[in-house]
Amino acid sequence: MENRVSLGSIQKAVWDGRLPLEIVLASSESRTFDKTDPYLISYPRISYLPSLLPKLRAFFSNFLIDPNSQSHDGWFEFEGVPLKWHYPVGLLFDLYAGIDPASKTAARDNESPDEGSSLPWRLVVHFNDWPHDLVRLDADGMVMNDAFINSVKEADFLRNGTAKGIMSLSKEDSSGLWNAVQEGTILTPKNTVDLLSFQRISNILLPQLSQPFRNVPIRIFLPLLPDAESSSLKVVQSPLSPSIPASSMQSSQMLSSRSGSTLQPQTVGSVLHTLLPNLFPSRRTPVLAKPVLHGAVIPMSAPIEEVVRSSAYGDGWAYIVVRMMG
Amino acid sequence: MAAFCSALCSAFPFLTQSEFEGACQDLADRCTSAQHIEWSAIRLLTKPNGTSLRITKRVDVPSPLEAPALDLEESQEDEDPEALVRAKPQPSLQIDYDILLSPTYQVPVLYFGLRWHNHGPLGLDDVYQYVVPEQYRQQLKSVGVMGGISMGYHPDSDAPAFFVHPCNTADAMASIADAQSVTPGSYLLIWLGLVGHCVNLHVPRELFA
Repeated sequence: MENRVSLGSIQKAVWDGRLPLEIVLASSESRTFDKTDPYLISYPRISYLPSLLPKLRAFFSNFLIDPNSQSHDGWFEFEGVPLKWHYPVGLLFDLYAGIDPASKTAARDNESPDEGSSLPWRLVVHFNDWPHDLVRLDADGMVMNDAFINSVKEADFLRNGTAKGIMSLSKEDSSGLWNAVQEGTILTPKNTVDLLSFQRISNILLPQLSQPFRNVPIRIFLPLLPDAESSSLKVVQSPLSPSIPASSMQSSQMLSSRSGSTLQPQTVGSVLHTLLPNLFPSRRTPVLAKPVLHGAVIPMSAPIEEVVRSSAYGDGWAYIVVRMMG
Repeated sequence: MAAFCSALCSAFPFLTQSEFEGACQDLADRCTSAQHIEWSAIRLLTKPNGTSLRITKRVDVPSPLEAPALDLEESQEDEDPEALVRAKPQPSLQIDYDILLSPTYQVPVLYFGLRWHNHGPLGLDDVYQYVVPEQYRQQLKSVGVMGGISMGYHPDSDAPAFFVHPCNTADAMASIADAQSVTPGSYLLIWLGLVGHCVNLHVPRELFA
């Protein structure tokens, strides 16, 4: 393997990742219809949209037809699709924005022409007419915090086989984890997401490098059908072991298990081929579709445990989006 | 079927997908043959990503949402002498409970949603007021970030739903059920007794007859 970068440097790049957002107020809710100034921000990919609501509510307050709406009445839409706020914005972008992911083979000066016009990502914020297919937020942000911690618990359970880790986490550390993935809010004023606090707390939860995960927390999002009636997402999740019995074809990079039989690390390609054989007929080469994480195509040969240790979102999960090729 | 039901749980305190499906089938069959169950419907739903069991229940509770309409109706009927003896109609709350196997925890998980007759879905406050029996309210509210009941998306419909936290289920099952004798069928009944009572879902006595 050439250029073996450390897990830590990949994690830093993931946490530094930002998306330019251009957020406009829904014209039906604006006193100036579509003449309202947009709100522009460079926002961390791993953060969640509702954390922006207090700033947006204040920014648009003079334009709102309904002055009584509150910030937690706010929800976001992209091209008519209400966005599920419990997913990090980077995942929502990879799912919906339709921009070609970055890849190693694409030359830097050869970017697809539509990339320039698709960024910043244009979202619409509403403060009225909450859509029936979204879970409602509350004034104290508890619903959002709860959804995040539930997700953290699930990842922890998969990695360790018990939920004892997260249950034993102190209240401070548990809320510290949630605060770390948020950019400054009124309650936690700061300029950016907080990788150092996150690492300190997640090191309590994560098994040591020498001790493999029991299962690897990965969810795979299937491509959205452009003319599908509902906007519901198809998600695949299955218990994924970090290593699988070595096939005779691949004798390199073998590990010895305690029982003596040989194991090899399970790769992104082998997971996709096993779970979605029609989309991934080969475990080595993307033929019909490609796996995307944090806006980049990830190598089929990447071991899944390394992918999660280096590139998980703040809740401990790697959310891989399947993009059709061509 | 009989042979399957008497086999022990292979991964106790967890359930495998096929054990879960067998246990759901078994419970649905037993309900169909039993009489006078308080549940208004029980259905086995088979979806590409797994089987689930839906139990529907109607509870008669006074709905604050419909109260003004009822008063109006009453005042209009004031002159009708028969109105005095007619019982005031109680609007019914419909609760749909869905039992699924959690792909993360490998234990059953209870999702539920509630609707008033002719009305949309309701919130967490309504759950504590109308669904959680009084003796469990404090205890349930005191766990986790916002209590033992969370809001999330139903794994099948992707619509907002409530669910009871499954993360402690395996430990709880291990402490009350006997690994040497528990079958998938008895696992599901014990689990239902453990998790159901806090959201007003009781195992009908008739099932043990």
